[in-house]
Amino acid sequence: MSPQADHLSLRGRHLLDRRQFLSRNATAIGSIALTSLLGRDGLLANSNAPIIDSSQPFAPRDPHFPARAKNVLVIFCAGAVSQLETWDYKPELIRQDGKPLKGGPPVTFQGPAGNLARPQYEFRRRGETGKWVSEMIPHLAELTDDLAFIHSLTSQSNTHGPAENFLSTGFVQDGFPSLGAWTTYALGSDNQDLPAFVSIPDPRGVPQASVNNWGPGFLPAEFQGTPFSAKEPLRHLAPAGAVSKAQDRAARSLLQRMNERHLEKNPGDNQLAARIASYELAARMQLSVPEITDLSTEPDHILKLYGADNESNAVKAGYARNCILARRLIERGVRIVQLFNGAYASGGKLNWDGHQKLKEQYDVHAEILDQPTAALVRDLKQRGLLEDTLVVWCTEFGRMPMFQKGAQGRDHNPDGFTCWLTGAGIKPGVSHGVTDELGRKAIENVHPLYDFNATILHLLGIDHERLTYFHNGIERRLTNVEGHVIREVLA
Amino acid sequence: MAGLIASSFVALATAEEKVDFVREVRPILEANCYQCHGEDKQKSGLRLDVKEAAFRGGSGHAPDIIPGKSAESPLIRFIRGDDGADLRMPKDAKPLTPGEIATLTRWIEQGAPWPDGVDRIQLADKRDHWSFQPVSHPEPPATRRTDWARAEIDRFILAKLESAGLEPSPETDRLTWLRRVTFDLTGLPPTPEEVAGFLEDRAEGAHERVVDRLLDSPRYGERWAQHWLDVVRYADTHGFEVNTERPFAWPYRDYVIRSFNDDVPWDRFIREQIAGDSVGKTEATGFLVTAAALLPGQIGKDDASKRLARQDELGEIVINTGEAFLGLSIGCARCHDHKFDPISTRDYYSLQAFFAGVKYGDRPIENPKVEAIVADLNARLAPLESELFRLVLPAGSGHTRAPVSARGNLERFAPISATAVRFTIQATISDNLREPFIDEFEVFDTEGRNVALDAKSTKVSGGRGKENLNNGIYGNADCWRSNEKGRGWIEMEFDRPHRIEQVRWGRDRTGQYGDRLAEKYTLEIRSGSGEWKTAADSSDRAAFDPDRAKAALFQPEDLAPVSRSRASEILARRKPILDELEQYAGGRQLVFAALSDAPEPMHLLNRGDPEQPKDEVEPATPAFLDPVQLPGDAGDLERRRALAGWIADPENPLTARVIVNRIWQWHFGMGLVETANDFGHAGTKPTHPELLDWLAGEFIRSGWSVKHLQRLIVLSATYRQDHRIDPAAMEVDAGSRLLWRFPSRRLEAEAIRDSMLAVSGRLNLKTGGRGFDLFKSRGGLSGFPPIESFQDDGRRRMIYAHKIRMEREIVFGAFDCPDAGQSLPRRRQSTTPIQALNLFNSQFTFDESAALAERARSEIGTPIESQVEHIYQLALGRAPDLSEKTDAVQVVAEHGLETLCRAVFNSNEFLFLP
Repeated sequence: MSPQADHLSLRGRHLLDRRQFLSRNATAIGSIALTSLLGRDGLLANSNAPIIDSSQPFAPRDPHFPARAKNVLVIFCAGAVSQLETWDYKPELIRQDGKPLKGGPPVTFQGPAGNLARPQYEFRRRGETGKWVSEMIPHLAELTDDLAFIHSLTSQSNTHGPAENFLSTGFVQDGFPSLGAWTTYALGSDNQDLPAFVSIPDPRGVPQASVNNWGPGFLPAEFQGTPFSAKEPLRHLAPAGAVSKAQDRAARSLLQRMNERHLEKNPGDNQLAARIASYELAARMQLSVPEITDLSTEPDHILKLYGADNESNAVKAGYARNCILARRLIERGVRIVQLFNGAYASGGKLNWDGHQKLKEQYDVHAEILDQPTAALVRDLKQRGLLEDTLVVWCTEFGRMPMFQKGAQGRDHNPDGFTCWLTGAGIKPGVSHGVTDELGRKAIENVHPLYDFNATILHLLGIDHERLTYFHNGIERRLTNVEGHVIREVLA
Repeated sequence: MAGLIASSFVALATAEEKVDFVREVRPILEANCYQCHGEDKQKSGLRLDVKEAAFRGGSGHAPDIIPGKSAESPLIRFIRGDDGADLRMPKDAKPLTPGEIATLTRWIEQGAPWPDGVDRIQLADKRDHWSFQPVSHPEPPATRRTDWARAEIDRFILAKLESAGLEPSPETDRLTWLRRVTFDLTGLPPTPEEVAGFLEDRAEGAHERVVDRLLDSPRYGERWAQHWLDVVRYADTHGFEVNTERPFAWPYRDYVIRSFNDDVPWDRFIREQIAGDSVGKTEATGFLVTAAALLPGQIGKDDASKRLARQDELGEIVINTGEAFLGLSIGCARCHDHKFDPISTRDYYSLQAFFAGVKYGDRPIENPKVEAIVADLNARLAPLESELFRLVLPAGSGHTRAPVSARGNLERFAPISATAVRFTIQATISDNLREPFIDEFEVFDTEGRNVALDAKSTKVSGGRGKENLNNGIYGNADCWRSNEKGRGWIEMEFDRPHRIEQVRWGRDRTGQYGDRLAEKYTLEIRSGSGEWKTAADSSDRAAFDPDRAKAALFQPEDLAPVSRSRASEILARRKPILDELEQYAGGRQLVFAALSDAPEPMHLLNRGDPEQPKDEVEPATPAFLDPVQLPGDAGDLERRRALAGWIADPENPLTARVIVNRIWQWHFGMGLVETANDFGHAGTKPTHPELLDWLAGEFIRSGWSVKHLQRLIVLSATYRQDHRIDPAAMEVDAGSRLLWRFPSRRLEAEAIRDSMLAVSGRLNLKTGGRGFDLFKSRGGLSGFPPIESFQDDGRRRMIYAHKIRMEREIVFGAFDCPDAGQSLPRRRQSTTPIQALNLFNSQFTFDESAALAERARSEIGTPIESQVEHIYQLALGRAPDLSEKTDAVQVVAEHGLETLCRAVFNSNEFLFLP
């Protein structure tokens, strides 16, 4: 330890030690290879924060403890899917249809509350567990035995944007790192030719909290999600200007020579070397990303399974193609894929925000969600990918058991809603946590979303209390100062 | 009942014997409570192993021990489970035995005697921390080497280097220093003329002359204001889900730029940003409201949501003030006492009380000049518009007219003598979901006079906010509103007939709002004879087009085809006037700033929850510094002025230290204190504490002059060092924290974009005003389609871009551009393949490469060698050496000059502050 090291934070001291070790033998380019050691040696297990080498930010890093899941697929339904029309069966609500909710709030998020309203779809028992699931989602319902439901989640906000922030970043405010950023910061990636964290926006548009859902917050920018979809390719993958292939190659190799000459005059400067390496990585991505978004190699039966061949419903076909893309990314070792279903606020037209005409709009949304998502989970399972992949289905909050006054839809309800998990490390067929008999509030095994995120990190081998980043005076975490792993859903 | 029994039992026991804390009480606490409320963990902020902390209590129920009153002491209630099994302590563990409960109960009844000096742990005094001590006035230390230092700064740096066995690097060459200081102070590279001028100026004081020139340049404030805007998380949208435009944030941005350029003393800069509205600097208080905020329509209709939103608003002001000026993370104390620093929850809410009268909103800037400007602009606009009007096709002429626009629609008809007009809306855009709004309804006679404007002679009926239809004020805040969704009507009756020929109506002429727009409508006119006739309707308008939802009046298809070339000439002359007018709302320049209101009562909140208010608090600064306290009836301005005075006091140990550290960091990439926003216990200690104090003292002595400090820094020997890596020194200090070299670093996003434009010769140096667009949307829900190719205003310096919160610009955003979500004390230096793709492949790079190539051709002529040399001079400030030149010439001969330019813009040499 050098004399000035006591001035540094814990993280700074670790970095310094590592750098000193490395710099003994470092020469310009050679240091890149050497520094890749940094990523591999499991420093994570012994300190609060992972050590990132800027020339190899996505080098795989060991988790805190053996992981149950290597990759995560997050299926994010924007706009707040009603738990009462999907997974949380409330026969009492059928009985009390049209009656006022005793002791219920007179005013909810959007205005005066109306009377209780029965689930808008019929429910039926499914599979071996015999769990009641709605007819709204017949394909997903067939998966019931494989899923682990948490019916008792709560959010800190009843407004979409802050609540999406809360689900994705653990804070209602703007500007905190997303789950995907935390995950790739902790673990790097197994594929160096693709972004470590990919976000696939819905064909109808971006979700309400938009880039916050995949932003890096104050983590290094390299850990932000890269958004692209089957329809909208990664930006700047190809030259925007009219240049020939020869001109493009000439510019690249001239740049390479300029940078190498410059490095020769500035030997040992890691920052310069890292920038040279970043152009090499970019060149690899230029080859690998078009290859992965090209779905023409998928056989017809796969397109049919997902509904990607649907000619009468372009949105469904588009979402289905995104589902296939998600599988291809997971297959190639991308650490975390975030797949959106639903876009921004639009009076419930483009997402699950069914305030006014819930049934009418959910008929449309369910058709888009159901078959492709179910096919994705099945396809992952058939290919054995669920051995290593955790699949998360989530939404920012739930909906009220009453209709809004004068409307045929439900208002925001952050007090008890359902998400599910399946795949690596998950106990199938579990239903954990309970809402009251009308589905108004979680009453048993209540879990703030902190717990949900702590559980996801746990499955990835990460202790949510130890994955930290020092920012503005605080060792920040995904789970703030909260969070308990929900052990009841673990295999 | 339980309480009664316990009390009577206690009464008996008390008579018998005194409970001994060490022998009887502590073992019970230790066995049952310390695991969660001891040294390692303090759940709910409660610890029971230290006397002082135990009596202070936790965050939820303090005090937990009320001497003499066991039945009321939360500690006893919890261990007995009085408040339900959920709250029985210890949680999820074996309950205390009745005997143990009785012992603790008796102990409290006896006055909870806890002898001093028995605790095994002494709580560290949180005030005992370097940054809370007064600024010392150290003499620069003696050094072994005496021929290196140019200034006091250097002696502090050299002394540390010597004690670590390091030597400073040699002085860098003149070109490198010039590029360094020019990028550093202005964010742009030196021009070839500036390079040549400096290299030739061998007279004494050449460096000083460069520094004076740079500090005097308006480009300086544009560069340094950005540093401050990062800290205060400035943006031109409101953030959160809807992220609507905040159209009048920019006067604060311009204020910051001006303040840096004018070298406004830092203490005054602080006072103005906190309470500038008391000294005619209203725009400075934009500082208080830079955070993301929910607009009224985005907050839940229930009272709890409203209280939470208000608390969030106030919280952001406290956080900003604490971090920006004091380097303290005060925000932690909103929910619990600060874990490390001497800031209690009470301190937090007492501090928040200074802002209890502040609301977020637009307010006019006192500026008579603006009114004159607007009058002049309108006078220039009027003849153009009246000529345009003559070219407009009347309604029902058989041509398809432009689709309706929120910004204004014109209905022209044959002149008619009218006693009344009626406007009936049959449908609005977006499926009639909302009630239609109209901000102004204008009826012009053949003289071009708006006859509706005379409220005395015009009777308006229909809908709500009728008076807004003809009061001459545009904008959403001053709208007529229908009573029905998707429909509505207006009637205006005049007290005498007018010969009219056009009606203009719009939803929001200022261009902010595009919803609630009437799409299907009929305009009828009552003639002198009393007969109603349809003068215009929507049937000949093109279908609504979202891309043109806010198009200005006089769209191409509204104009007679024969006169279109004349029209486009007038339109081109009109556009700059409209753009300029847009900056002023109805003749007043607004700023999004602190609205000053009567302070509302402020309560301490349990766990930060507005639904759990506790004691009322009065404005008071934290107790650890010479505190300021005000009575609860103090007014808003008095409160803010008092707080500003306390912060800007030269005796405040944090204020000067925090800013001189930031300035140091903005020059060297890293501050003497690494954590520029946190000078508390969780932050890092300064590498050079004496230097930090010397700088703070010098700063105050100079009258808080930022430029004075900067002159000292950039002329120092420390700053003039070479940047090259010395492997031996790397072993001792890899991060160059001791400054054995100048820590070179990649330019920031803004500096890269600005420099590319400067080098290509296309940088637009227009200063101030409304931001230019990086996206096709200035705010809102439906995403931000980017602009890829930029004209005119789009080539201004990036600090003048309309900054969308949380949305990064598509090329340069990836270069660690802040998103304005949270305060950013220091730009990171990430290196990613996305950056490489953006800079190598974007339209922007291709555009500027072409422009640079064209510049070289036009300024130099044809010989490739000379073109190559010129490009090197422009971009890198030097001539290529022989091998570079041979290489480049060959590439250019084969692949064109643009190929060289593209490579140069991507090169490390171009992109680094050397």
